[in-house]
Amino acid sequence: MAAADSPSPGLRRRDLCSRGIRLAGKMRSDVVDLLDTYVEWQGLDASASVAAVEGVPVAAVERWDEQTGTQRLLENLAAYRTFRALLAQMLEEQQEQLGEADTALGRALASVLLQVSAFTYHLEELLQLESRGTPSEEVDVPVPPSQLGLFERKLRGLGVLRELAQWAVRSARDLRQLAKPSPGSSSAPGPDESP
Amino acid sequence: DSHTQYERVGADVTMKCGSMDWDAAVTWMANGTDIDESHLNGSYLILKNVGLSQSGQYFCYEGSSWHRKYQTSLVVGTPPKEPVLMCRSNNYPKGFYCSWHLPTPTYIPNFFNISVVHGTREMVCEKDALPKNRCHIRYIQLFSTVKYKVTLTVTNALGKNSTTLTFDEFAIVKPDPPENVVAKPVPNNPRRLEVSWQNPSSWPDPESFPLKFFLRYRPLILDQWQHVELSDGTSHTITDAYAGKEYIIQVAAKDNDIGTWSDWSVAVHATPWTEEPKHLTTEAQITETTSTSTSSFMPPPTTKICDKGAVVGSGAVAVCWTAGLVLAAYGVLFI
Repeated sequence: MAAADSPSPGLRRRDLCSRGIRLAGKMRSDVVDLLDTYVEWQGLDASASVAAVEGVPVAAVERWDEQTGTQRLLENLAAYRTFRALLAQMLEEQQEQLGEADTALGRALASVLLQVSAFTYHLEELLQLESRGTPSEEVDVPVPPSQLGLFERKLRGLGVLRELAQWAVRSARDLRQLAKPSPGSSSAPGPDESP
Repeated sequence: DSHTQYERVGADVTMKCGSMDWDAAVTWMANGTDIDESHLNGSYLILKNVGLSQSGQYFCYEGSSWHRKYQTSLVVGTPPKEPVLMCRSNNYPKGFYCSWHLPTPTYIPNFFNISVVHGTREMVCEKDALPKNRCHIRYIQLFSTVKYKVTLTVTNALGKNSTTLTFDEFAIVKPDPPENVVAKPVPNNPRRLEVSWQNPSSWPDPESFPLKFFLRYRPLILDQWQHVELSDGTSHTITDAYAGKEYIIQVAAKDNDIGTWSDWSVAVHATPWTEEPKHLTTEAQITETTSTSTSSFMPPPTTKICDKGAVVGSGAVAVCWTAGLVLAAYGVLFI
């Protein structure tokens, strides 16, 4: 029987899932605002079509409904770790361009980076709960080739943010699936819980 | 030899009598009536500036033998204008449907062809049996940033036209309106109405893809709506209704994260609970009638002999009745 001051794994999982869903919702909203700011700052057309950018985790997935809870968590974790590195790179490039100037774009980027970091940590907690352990933190972020011009880098940034916005929506859905009490899931509720 | 001939409205049409020479003697008939010779150029039938009413069966007979030499069905119509195409996902994440129509009729048969492309992948849009002019697609991928491109081509005997829609997966998500909206008064609460509803049955998985709702309500006598947005649950209690007024109430739904609001649900009407009028005894009814008739003498405001609303028991009613008589006496004196 669980100690009075420590919630059961099932309850902890549901709690982490609902907080994660709220985090993902806030993150998405902030990424959408960041996209507007980014497009304006970089002088881009908001409807510009951006080809798939190498190294950016793609949110699109087939047979999404058939994924197990662990698959969802692992894919999310890999994605957000990569986004953390990509956003840090974008922030660095931004600072290189504008020096130490405190800009709205810089602040917005930093805020989203913080949320991505927090969400990554959240996913790690969930994975720990699944008793799967957390995969080693090896993120393979391709450094943008030095021959990428300024415009190409701006488009790349647009691609990163757009894909992150999709991931934020997907993550909320993934966590809701995870929060569902299902006997067939990779982590069924404990004997002392009712679904 | 029987033919079908499609011609545009306003066109000039020349019909030949089969293989008959130009100078052959022929008779043309349309829909059972002889056609006047003024429309003939030799054996050719000339119809200028044809209209829809000239559609029909045309026959040509050899002059002397009355052998039918030629027959055609003339169908007057128009080439298609640009079709109107709409795509929507009311059953996300299962898929979406596209439906179309022509803005104006062509009066001749039209054929529609739809193509759906997602990136480089061509997808099959399965035609629905009913309604016609609609097809549906199952999503293969979810959460894609790649846009869908839907092209509809309409062709008929007089021409063709097409239209293209480009959209992303999230933009077309629009649930059906909430179902089974019920509004009830709350006993002993003259300013409350309890409203409940259900998720639209077409929305396949409200647990993983929860909907949020927008409720609007107003008394019938006013034009201004009150609005409430609800992020969860399928019920709400209105607490600021005007007592005794009939209300009209509607609900709309939207996916929590993406897409647009549904149309408004079917409207329901409800009136908040009101207290039942008190049932008075016969004596009290007479008393009340008397008090009412003396009120036209307008006792001075400070002389609040009886407040109608405060009449409760027969004792208080008797006091009112007595006071009324006194006032009536004064009234008579001053006429």
